[in-house]
Amino acid sequence: MTILVTGGSKCGKSRFAEQLLHDFKGRKFYVATMQPYGSDAQEAIARHREMRRTKGFETLEQYTDLAALSIPDASAVLVECIGNLCANEMFSALPPTDPTEKICTAIRTLSKQSECLVIVTNEVGSDGIPYDSYTQDYIRILHTVNRELTTIADTVYECVFGIPILLKGTVS
Amino acid sequence: MVLITGGLASGKTKYAASRFGCTITDGASCNFDEIWDAECISHYHQLVERMLAAALDPLEITTRLCSKNPDAVILMTEIGCGIVPIEKNERIRREMCGRCGCILAEQSDEVIRMICGIPQLLKGGASR
Repeated sequence: MTILVTGGSKCGKSRFAEQLLHDFKGRKFYVATMQPYGSDAQEAIARHREMRRTKGFETLEQYTDLAALSIPDASAVLVECIGNLCANEMFSALPPTDPTEKICTAIRTLSKQSECLVIVTNEVGSDGIPYDSYTQDYIRILHTVNRELTTIADTVYECVFGIPILLKGTVS
Repeated sequence: MVLITGGLASGKTKYAASRFGCTITDGASCNFDEIWDAECISHYHQLVERMLAAALDPLEITTRLCSKNPDAVILMTEIGCGIVPIEKNERIRREMCGRCGCILAEQSDEVIRMICGIPQLLKGGASR
């Protein structure tokens, strides 16, 4: 089972994604893709850690190259989030020639390895601001990844102010 | 409480006026005191901005608004679906708008998102 959760900033995606795995009985892994640079990142990381503290997740920090992860059988995995992963891959010292393909291949592998995979991503294309070409490329690539992930996922939700809207599949 | 969200100029004000026929208090320019008994508050995202500029806590005020004015209709532009701003205050503004929106949505009996003037029901709606 693979579930994609998308939405804008601070729309309650993380909380909802964690709730999806609330009743999961096996081991639960949280794949954190946010690099702990800057006070904003540290605040967000601290807030998310606190949110997960009592929910039984084991945290794996993996900023790029999700294919390097090895997940034990019958586990659940929560990846948060593709927006960070995409930026980390694109703006790393040695960026892959095709970040979309790299990310989607890794997610397909994770999807097969895990009993239940929940992926959190971002909507970043609706502020109408003309950015520089690096940022425009980022928006385009992240949304291309998102479109590919919806084909991999059995179920897709969009969160709006904490309310999950089912876009694909059925409520599990 | 009813929350009506959606992008800029998606039809929120027009929908609220036609459906509820209520007096609309503009969050972009009203006195802060007016919100406690306003029938409808528009531009709530700008009200949040103004609270931040006045060193008030938008989360606390929004929570209090839900309990003190539980029949209000709130209009709030959805602003989170873009690139994380470089400027720190812009990030705080965006984050606070999102979190206030989550509080309002949780406390609302009905949540509607407007798209091209069309209301999409996200929560509740028994009263319609």
